[in-house]
Amino acid sequence: MIQPLSGIQNTVAALDAERTRMDVISQNIANANTTHGVDGKPYQRKVVVFENALQQAMGSGNNGSMTPQLRVARIESDHRAPIEVYEPGNPDADSRGMVATPNINIHEEMADLISASRTFEANLAVVKNEKSMAMQTLSIGKH
Amino acid sequence: MSPLSAIPQATYNFGTMPDMDAARPNTLPTPGVQGPSPLSQPGEVTPGQSSGDSFGNVLGKLISDVNTKQNAATAAVDGLQSGQAVPLHQAVIAMEEANVSFQLMVEVRNKLLDSYQEMMRMQI
Repeated sequence: MIQPLSGIQNTVAALDAERTRMDVISQNIANANTTHGVDGKPYQRKVVVFENALQQAMGSGNNGSMTPQLRVARIESDHRAPIEVYEPGNPDADSRGMVATPNINIHEEMADLISASRTFEANLAVVKNEKSMAMQTLSIGKH
Repeated sequence: MSPLSAIPQATYNFGTMPDMDAARPNTLPTPGVQGPSPLSQPGEVTPGQSSGDSFGNVLGKLISDVNTKQNAATAAVDGLQSGQAVPLHQAVIAMEEANVSFQLMVEVRNKLLDSYQEMMRMQI
């Protein structure tokens, strides 16, 4: 199979991974005030863990170039303790009037969101450059 | 490159390879010209060409590859538009890849036509 945009598979994998990271962050932000999850406990912050995997789908035609490719290994819970807030009117409050709110710091999530967005942008720039290089190469010899 | 010294072994074999060295006008099948007739020996391998796929096969494979990429792009866009879980960037990148492959194919075709027309313009 021809690969007019060489190495694009790695970038696509990175874009996929960053997309997942953005999804997880948006889930964290959306649930920043969820005090009662399906298990009755407050929502726990989720973190993505990235890993490198050797790509197997390259086939034998591409001289066996086994480059490690980024992918999301797993989505884990952040095990920091929930934040206790004094809110006696809340139905989820305990006998002392304290409500366990998710262990989410909105500023941390915003910083993560910006980081994921910038990484996504960088990978898009790689795609853009790759394409422009291919098109410029195709125009060799034109005048 | 000396234009005359290589005439006897040069073969005009367009179906095998558009090799400019091998495509000299003097070797066109003119009666009385010494050297191998291009049509009588279609299997002859021009110098520098490995005895692998013929150029026609390579071109056919390129076209079918481009077709595969176009189909993949269409499938991605269809999936996106019908609400399946296809990420936007994958659809766009599939389209770009199909676009660049198509441009490459068009470029190869232009080169082939150019060399053919150049040959036809040549005075014998």
